[in-house]
Amino acid sequence: MKKVEIFDPAMCCSTGVCGPSVDQNLTRVASTVYSLEQKGMDIKRFNLANDPAAFADNETVNRVLQDKGADALPVTLLDGEVTKVGVYPTNEEFAEWLDVSVEALTQKPRVRVSVKLD
Amino acid sequence: MHTLYNPKQHVQTPYLFFTGKGGVGKTSVACATAVALADQGKKVLLVSTDPASNLQDVFEIELSREPVEIPSVKNLYASNIDPEEAASVYRENTVRPYRDKLPESVVNQMEEQLSGACTVEIAAFDEFSHLLADDGIFKEYDHVLFDTAPTGHTLRLLTLPTAWSGYLEEATHGASCLGPLSGLGDKKDMYQKAVESLSDGKKTTLILVARPEESTLIEANRASFELGEIGIGHQMLIINGLLQTHDENDEVSAAFYEGQQEAVKKTPEELRAIQTFSLPFVSYSLTGIDRLRQIVSDTPLVEFKEDDDNTELAPLSELKDVIDDFSDNNTRVIFTMGKGGVGKTSIAAAIAVGLTEKGHKVHLTTTDPAAHLDYMFKDSAIHKNLSISSIDPEVEVDNYKKEVITNAGELNDDEIAYLQEDLESPCTEEIAVFRAFADVVERSEQEIVVIDTAPTGHTLLLLDSSEAYHKEMSRSTGDTPESVKKLLPRLRNPEETGVVVVTLPEATPVFEATRLRNDLIRAEITPKWWVINRSLYATGTTDNVLKIRAASEKQWIKKVQEELADNCALIPWMKEVKLAMNK
Repeated sequence: MKKVEIFDPAMCCSTGVCGPSVDQNLTRVASTVYSLEQKGMDIKRFNLANDPAAFADNETVNRVLQDKGADALPVTLLDGEVTKVGVYPTNEEFAEWLDVSVEALTQKPRVRVSVKLD
Repeated sequence: MHTLYNPKQHVQTPYLFFTGKGGVGKTSVACATAVALADQGKKVLLVSTDPASNLQDVFEIELSREPVEIPSVKNLYASNIDPEEAASVYRENTVRPYRDKLPESVVNQMEEQLSGACTVEIAAFDEFSHLLADDGIFKEYDHVLFDTAPTGHTLRLLTLPTAWSGYLEEATHGASCLGPLSGLGDKKDMYQKAVESLSDGKKTTLILVARPEESTLIEANRASFELGEIGIGHQMLIINGLLQTHDENDEVSAAFYEGQQEAVKKTPEELRAIQTFSLPFVSYSLTGIDRLRQIVSDTPLVEFKEDDDNTELAPLSELKDVIDDFSDNNTRVIFTMGKGGVGKTSIAAAIAVGLTEKGHKVHLTTTDPAAHLDYMFKDSAIHKNLSISSIDPEVEVDNYKKEVITNAGELNDDEIAYLQEDLESPCTEEIAVFRAFADVVERSEQEIVVIDTAPTGHTLLLLDSSEAYHKEMSRSTGDTPESVKKLLPRLRNPEETGVVVVTLPEATPVFEATRLRNDLIRAEITPKWWVINRSLYATGTTDNVLKIRAASEKQWIKKVQEELADNCALIPWMKEVKLAMNK
């Protein structure tokens, strides 16, 4: 299984709702990453505001930042190699890398009904 | 009339938290209480976590984090903690290890995210918790008094189970508001214990301090409800500075007295249910042990002789000069900013009306409930060149949340829950309101826009960095509204925009206004005017009690004039809110 790591710029929250506009791309990435995590995929996100060590310690990411500054964020690594700089991956890319169908990333799960058995 | 507050009879719990709007006299009431309890033979620790604290002046002694015994009062210890300093230490500790590892632009981005108001709030709570959870302190002192209380927002965050399971551990879903706590998951027990002590009515009393003014009573009511909801049920209200008598022949004195009586009559319903005491309006300032003893004694009104204050003030401008200046320079966007209760809506309205009278087309926007403005203009026909709109923060936040959820596309239940949690972040309100007034500012091409609020420097800087970030994203999203993109450069342009800082001639309001100003300066915006509102000094009152108070305003007026303001106007205290039409 391939390993995906996303290095986010410093933000309050990973869905981007604190930004000046609702960034659909950020909310999409947040929910895609969330559902991939739920499927047990090897996918991680690091927020500069909370986890600067990840940015400093990862030589590849650090090099990109030294070259291009904060504007290079977000940076995405696939198996440790830089694949995306300054933009988030699309759902198609996620699907291809992790070998799942695009539909599986956007499809709504069946509504769960909980039944109480007293 | 409410019973006069007497700590010896009215204090029943070991922990006391004082809360209230800036400038109501929290610190003075806390100090007087501490001295009275110590005089009774109790061992007392007074802790100040108010960044505007003047505890050192009150006791005339240097204080630090470590409790120091007050030499002139047996059994009384005091300590002073500055949460801003604690927050900045935290910020520096977080950022320092990366200064030489990551490029400057990256480090700057981190720093700004850690400069919000919530970082300070959490740092303060961290300090409370140490003391609340420490059994040693509990055994050592009979009473521990705090001159500030944690806010409902902080406590709610801490009672969320996610604060511990999610926010602190998962880097993918960290909230920077909880920054000072992250990585400190091992403090969980301490915080829980602190929250438990707070909600134990046998241990903790929340003392709400208000002035006999409508806005501070409303604020006390809000705090009472919010903290009550979290479980801090043992509460007491102190109305501070109630004028006992007045000079019938002095117009200002009579109006001041009546204004107070009316405000007290209008005390919110829920607040009336709380045990209430009052402290009298006295002419002497509450510094020094003797005066603190006297204010809660049986004879609080006996006068102290004040030194004659010969401070000379340089000539001051009036509101008329502010209006002339904006009119002459053809300023397009005018913000009045200040803490709640200083009268920034009245000042905004007065400026708007003044500019209309000079022939300008003006649009006035307020974030206060619209009813307030309607009331202000009730008696007079609004000039045809003046239009008014309002921004209701609650409605804006609601719309914003709906917009986010709708635009997020197809989400399952888990994902919606996840998104909603992010939307509970405190930045949401600031951003939602900011977007709403970005749209209003757009109008300034046709008319002058006056707004009774301003974004904080922190919001502006966050938007600035996200703006750069959004440029990168624009190819794929391109959804930052045009009005928001254009706003920051316009706000920074002094030809186009004027910021008016509104404050009162008293210690805490001046301190708080200074903080707002410094934050704006960080975002490269310098306020054009300072307006000092509700000055008794400017009324020329001859009332025996009020005139001494009036003289004490001079030091604050002087400070604003000499250290803070480029241009400074002084506005006399007035009873009617109809300020706008009476100029």
